[in-house]
Amino acid sequence: MTILATEGLTRRFPRVTALDQLTVTVGSGVTGLVGANGAGKSTLIKILLGLLEPSAGSAQVLGMDVTTHGAEIRRIVGYMPEHDCLPPDLSATEFTVHMAQMSGLPRTAARERAADVLRHVGLYEERYRAMGGYSTGMKQRVKLAQALVHDPRLVLLDEPTNGLDPQGRDEMLALIRKIGTEFGISVLVTSHLLGELERVCDHVIVIDGGKLLRSSSIAEFTQTTQTVTVEVEEGQEALAARLTELGETVTAHGRMLLVHVRAPETFDTLRDAVCELDLCLVRMEQGRQRIEDVFREPVNV
Amino acid sequence: MSEPTGVIHDIGYRHYDGVRLGRAHATLSLTLHSLRGVFGLGRTARSKIIPFLLAGVMMLPAVVSIAIMALVKQEAIGYTTYAVTMQAVLAIFLASQSPYTVAPDLRFRVLPLYLSRPVTLIDYVGAKLAAMTVAMFLLLAVPLTVLFVGELVIDLPGPAHTSAYLTSMAGAVAYAVLLACLGVAIASFTPRRGLGVASVIAFYLLTSAVSTVVAATMESVNNYTAAAWAWMINPFFLVDAAVQVGLFGAAPSAPTTYPAGAGVAVAILLMLALIALSVTALVLRYRKAAAR
Repeated sequence: MTILATEGLTRRFPRVTALDQLTVTVGSGVTGLVGANGAGKSTLIKILLGLLEPSAGSAQVLGMDVTTHGAEIRRIVGYMPEHDCLPPDLSATEFTVHMAQMSGLPRTAARERAADVLRHVGLYEERYRAMGGYSTGMKQRVKLAQALVHDPRLVLLDEPTNGLDPQGRDEMLALIRKIGTEFGISVLVTSHLLGELERVCDHVIVIDGGKLLRSSSIAEFTQTTQTVTVEVEEGQEALAARLTELGETVTAHGRMLLVHVRAPETFDTLRDAVCELDLCLVRMEQGRQRIEDVFREPVNV
Repeated sequence: MSEPTGVIHDIGYRHYDGVRLGRAHATLSLTLHSLRGVFGLGRTARSKIIPFLLAGVMMLPAVVSIAIMALVKQEAIGYTTYAVTMQAVLAIFLASQSPYTVAPDLRFRVLPLYLSRPVTLIDYVGAKLAAMTVAMFLLLAVPLTVLFVGELVIDLPGPAHTSAYLTSMAGAVAYAVLLACLGVAIASFTPRRGLGVASVIAFYLLTSAVSTVVAATMESVNNYTAAAWAWMINPFFLVDAAVQVGLFGAAPSAPTTYPAGAGVAVAILLMLALIALSVTALVLRYRKAAAR
């Protein structure tokens, strides 16, 4: 099922082209939108919410055109902005209830939904306190709660893991996965770290400079881009030569060797090669895929 | 984060399949939310102090007047002069509370969240103006009504001042609309609340000082027509001249009379122009804020 689709979507600002002929289709489930800062992620989200007119091309969200059905789209789509957006003098409960009413829920329903959603995002007693005293993690949870409170069919999450510590990041990612699977709400989540999206997304879209770099399912993605980092004490060149001989693709990266994983057998080849050469293996780890690695590789959409 | 202590079972995520109301409901919710905010309801105790203190001060003349009526059976303060007499209090309330309706949304960037909901920019501006207008109206209409009820209860000799009361209520509506538009428009230009407070109070002090000085100068050279016009620089006298005196024929609350005849029409037009100017400025301001 197609949740959103863009066709030749272009947005020009006086000085910069934020989106350039972007054509993508997104199905249900969790979709990651990856790009460096200024790649056009936030612009795309604003266009999808019907808040920004496209300069050319078209976009559809849940089967509705963004330029003509903006208000209808905004009723059934949730949005979590990247920046802070919480008034410090209100409690999380009051704020979430108010935002539910702003989405068209009657007062009693809004109260019920707010209590439910705040529990789901993991805010308990502290939800009655003024939000000014919240930690970044708690603020991110409230921002997520207000995006979910009206039970949207799609949520647009702009950098939800921004500013979180590793544990908070993991919890947020787990929550996003839960929204996509258990809650049955489609998710479009942006990030500049491909590695963290790999863990929760079914599908990943990579954009750079407003252009589509790649759009593929996560399985395809990791298969074609996975690398393993190897560090040996000495004899790095010998190992590289040996592996190349065995048909593996190896790139030297400082003291490390990046070995492209063709198939699971690559790991065996690697182990055997290290043993044969009798090298002292310091480290061997699966490469955390970063956005830059995708940019370095040739585009094969 | 504390763990739940009394949870019996997790019922999982439930979808919402109830009614989804439209823009009108959302706009009304925003108006009520802002109105509560103006009086500090649902906020900290500290934010209730100023609005309720000022509302209390607004009640004082009514209470004192009722006491005088009860003791000496004589009218103390006129209905139509109430707003002009209490203009400093109204101005302070406007200055201290109107930035609250707009500044935090700009400063803490809540505006994009509102705009990601069905409401439009115009609905947002309308709701904020409506909230401030209702607040100003309540501030003025409640003491007037209390005063009128007091007068009826005490039953002064002679007929009740019903027409004066109704005129003052019409005036209260005009005061509320004009002051709210001016206050919110001026406050919306800065995301800093303190700066907003200072700007609104500066605007009031400036217009009131200019009108007094110009009127006094004109009177000293015996140019009473010009002096009459000069009073209307002050928005409080402008509404008095346009609505209470012009439309309903009350006695002027300014030290002199206002321009008569075509002057009334000009005063009304001037008042409407000020309202229109404020609303236009607000809409333009928010167009720019939303584009960011």
